[in-house]
Amino acid sequence: MMTVSGGLGLGMQACRAQRKIPGSIVGASAAIGHMLRDKAFEAPTVFEEKQVVIIGGGISGLSAAMHLSKAGVDDLVLLELEAYTGGNAASGSNEYSKFPYGAHYVPIPNNELKDYTAFLEEAGVITGYENDLPVYNELYLCHDPEDRLYINGKWQEGIVPNYGLGQDARQQFARFFEKMAALRLAKGQDGKDAFAIPIDTSSSDPVYTGLDTITFKQWLEQESFTAKELLWYANYCTLDDFGTTIELISAWAGIHYFAARKGKAANAHYDDVLTWEEGNGFLAAQLRNRTQAEIRTNSLVISIEEMNGKVELSYFDVQQQKVLGLRCDQCIVAAPQFINARMLSRSEPERVGLVKSHMEYSPWIVANLKVKAGLEERNGVDLSWDNVLYEGNGLGYVDAGHQKISLSQPVKNLTYYKPLKGSSNAEARKAALAKQHQEWVAEVLSDLVKVHPNLEQQLLQVDIALWGHAMIQPLPGWIWGETRKKLQQSIGDTIHFAHTDIAGISIFEEAFYQGLNAAKQVKRFL
Amino acid sequence: MDSTQKQVVRTQWLLLFSVLIIAVCGLIYELIAGTLASYVLGDSITQFSLIIGTYMFSMGIGSFLSKYFNKDLLTWFVQVELLVGLIGGISAPLLFVLFPVIDGFQFLLLFLVVIIGTLVGIEIPLLLKILKDKLSFNELVSRVFTFDYIGALLASIVFPLLFVPHLGLIRTSLFFGIINVVVSIILCYYFQKQIKRVALLKFSAFLVLIGQVLAFAFADEIMDYGDELSYQDKVVFAKSTPYQRIVLTKNREELRLFLNSNLQFSSRDEYRYHEALVHPAMSNVKQVKNVLVLGGGDGLAVREILKYPGVENIHLVDLDPEMTRLFSSHKMLAGLNENSLKQPKVTIENKDAFIWLKESRTVYDCVIIDFPDPSSFGLGKLYSNTFYNLLKRVLHPLSVIVIQSTSPLVAPKSFWCVNKTLQACGFRTLPYHNFVPSFGEWGYIMASQQAPLNVPDTFAVPVRYISTPVFLQMMTFSNDMLPKDTLEINKLNNQVLVKYFEQEWRHYTDR
Ligand SMILES: Cc1cc2nc3c(=O)[nH]c(=O)nc-3n(C[C@H](O)[C@H](O)[C@H](O)COP(=O)(O)OP(=O)(O)OC[C@H]3O[C@@H](n4cnc5c(N)ncnc54)[C@H](O)[C@@H]3O)c2cc1C
Repeated sequence: MMTVSGGLGLGMQACRAQRKIPGSIVGASAAIGHMLRDKAFEAPTVFEEKQVVIIGGGISGLSAAMHLSKAGVDDLVLLELEAYTGGNAASGSNEYSKFPYGAHYVPIPNNELKDYTAFLEEAGVITGYENDLPVYNELYLCHDPEDRLYINGKWQEGIVPNYGLGQDARQQFARFFEKMAALRLAKGQDGKDAFAIPIDTSSSDPVYTGLDTITFKQWLEQESFTAKELLWYANYCTLDDFGTTIELISAWAGIHYFAARKGKAANAHYDDVLTWEEGNGFLAAQLRNRTQAEIRTNSLVISIEEMNGKVELSYFDVQQQKVLGLRCDQCIVAAPQFINARMLSRSEPERVGLVKSHMEYSPWIVANLKVKAGLEERNGVDLSWDNVLYEGNGLGYVDAGHQKISLSQPVKNLTYYKPLKGSSNAEARKAALAKQHQEWVAEVLSDLVKVHPNLEQQLLQVDIALWGHAMIQPLPGWIWGETRKKLQQSIGDTIHFAHTDIAGISIFEEAFYQGLNAAKQVKRFL
Repeated sequence: MDSTQKQVVRTQWLLLFSVLIIAVCGLIYELIAGTLASYVLGDSITQFSLIIGTYMFSMGIGSFLSKYFNKDLLTWFVQVELLVGLIGGISAPLLFVLFPVIDGFQFLLLFLVVIIGTLVGIEIPLLLKILKDKLSFNELVSRVFTFDYIGALLASIVFPLLFVPHLGLIRTSLFFGIINVVVSIILCYYFQKQIKRVALLKFSAFLVLIGQVLAFAFADEIMDYGDELSYQDKVVFAKSTPYQRIVLTKNREELRLFLNSNLQFSSRDEYRYHEALVHPAMSNVKQVKNVLVLGGGDGLAVREILKYPGVENIHLVDLDPEMTRLFSSHKMLAGLNENSLKQPKVTIENKDAFIWLKESRTVYDCVIIDFPDPSSFGLGKLYSNTFYNLLKRVLHPLSVIVIQSTSPLVAPKSFWCVNKTLQACGFRTLPYHNFVPSFGEWGYIMASQQAPLNVPDTFAVPVRYISTPVFLQMMTFSNDMLPKDTLEINKLNNQVLVKYFEQEWRHYTDR
């Protein structure tokens, strides 16, 4: 009920000057990353010899490492610039729960992704099979209540707008989902699924790939989807998965979000998701546990060059503040292309321009809010895993402790997501880097006080993870265009690429297969 | 300006200032009533509009009544001011204390709003009359109403931003009461000569002032007192732990334990519950040596288990250390469980059952599960198939478990959902129920993977209630305890049990 808080300190405390809320800005170390752009490093004098080197310890790099270990490659080093592995799937923890700094869930996988499901089985996520259908560990399937949407003054169940909608909007939603259900089953002339995961296994039938030349918004208009709630919902989804609005994103990518998930399970539905307190940090740790690679963190790779059939690379050891050299037979570059282009600038100077003119990355923040019990709630459905505000400023928040099975949760960690807007991504990035912690806090609060009026009083700490280049934006022409193919090409027989940005869209499965395919390449040439 | 003229001006401003105060305080009382109503009765839209409407209407009544005041205007004015201060000031503490004990809470609330509204409604016309000879009509109306509306604005700004967050409702209400009273005291002194029976008025005003200042200082105690009044009997122990609020009450015949205001047991009939919970399961195991109790920090189930001499170890896992501490050390309570928690056979662990189970490796012959009802998503997880599958890790094929499963009469869907969930996890089950006066009709489900679940020929330990013929009765369910629809299995990712439970109990308490 209410609190009759003590203290005579009224008046003296003046109005509500915003209390300074503790916390910091964490996440991808922009400062270290920028050294690559701004600093001139000397060249290493000695080169350590290794068979295989992987650059980048995100999901793509870790997946490559796991698959190489499985294939028996043991002279293997992974270099990661941060102090920890995981990349965009990194996570943190405090005394109350673990929580994600970035990626936080995966949908149940499509059944034909055998390598992926085999990994999930090893990780205990799939516990067995019934009638050939995977049985998912119910501790990891998202617990109920899964999601809620604050719309028209109430929390409704599910995030597809429903409460207080007019007849026309309802009909449009029904038609929209019918359409997507049909596209989910659609196949091209070549017999392949029109929308598949990994996307490179999708049909190249122009009937479908043609959708990559228009924006999702244009497609929605063509199909006479006009209801404001439906447009909001579609926009919410593309922002959530790609950090890109329907006005900008390619129609093919937009539809992919709705039509590519077709997993079947003994105890789950195709649109169910798997999630953990620490988000995809759980899967990152599972990958890492399955490789024998020597992992060197705090290692910023500066340059890579092919030299007489070998690869020579130099990296900056952030702790020792020293440039070191490595020479290897095979190298997997599992970092994003805007960074790769700089590492390769000596031998392939045209890359920087190519990336700059063809690749757009959206910046994001992820705020972890440590909140005391007693958060005020609006009417409707209880706190759920995913909590979204209709027409909110961000994408809402996830209750990181949702998957916990313990009853005692005196403090909650809420993870708030927001792709950043600006006149361009570069502008938004610049503005974000200039912002102070308290400004971020105020920004997050202004969005969430609408649903939790006493949030500010209950806040114990806010940590902001700032992702300057969070994810690749699948703008028209990117997925089915030539540049992406060009950038995927290995350099000679020795340097191979693996990252979700050249996969076309940024999701866990793509990263997993990027790593797997690069590992296969390496195996071929060893 | 000569001195009398100055005097007149000063008088005017003082009176106008008191209009401002009345307007502020009046609106604050109204806001307090609205907030309180939406806290305790819910549905803030209805509560606020009812209260605002009633308040405005009552001001109208006040204005109407003002025509009967024609003499001693200043005296009336001060008296009404004092009365507003008194009633408004104590409104929140009064409502707080009375909420748990009276039936017509809404009525009382509206009644207070009517009184305050009427009094405030009288004040403005009174003032108009007092000042009518001192100002032109034009000036008069303009000033009085300006102050009135400024007051309203002030109130609606400071209430949510300053007062509720910093003082809470009870203190806010008293604070404004005090201001009202202080203003009336100032007026008393200022208009010494013009007010009738001024000494008496001053005296009463100071009395009210002292009362309210004291109440302000002891606001926390008032809050606690309200808490206690919500129990019929004397509260002999109350404590909020991180997990729950534990309250123990006592009257001549019985002790009652409440967790978060839900009755857990009454000493008068708890034996019916605990005998029914423990003995059928215990009697269905050939040789019981190791017993696990999940929940049940009150030690009453343990008391029953200790009656079996063959039992070697009893492991009690209860989340709340305060519960097990209380029931080991509090004289009355330890008396009730016959010091069961202090027996050498008993080990206590204060852990979350689900987490404990994930880490546990021991195997038990019998498991007694006495969790709170599945009234939240957190508790619902403890009734899920995942939980029961995990439970198998501490069972052998012939182990017998029993689960308290809420009332099959009030909540048949919930009860049979637990049954179905257990069956889906490969348990055979034996559902039964009995009557526990302080709870009503209560249900239990006994289950085992392979042991045939029988009606015991005898209950080989001293009991007050259970016997073979009685147990036979318990296994029969009347039609009104059977579910009407097909039920789902309770899983972490559907939490159907919590939904059934909420539906059924809400329906029941709504009647
Ligand atoms: C906020 C956010 C939320 C997301 N949510 C989801 C989600 O819920 N589900 C989902 O499936 N996907 C989500 N994603 C997408 C996520 O990016 C991918 O799923 C996946 O984690 C990407 O892995 P990656 O290895 O391809 O890239 P990255 O994670 O970018 O890995 C690249 C790694 O390379 C390192 N590196 C870079 N430069 C150098 C250098 N010079 N030297 C050494 N190391 C270097 C980086 O530090 C990083 O660790 C989210 C992404 C973000 C940012």
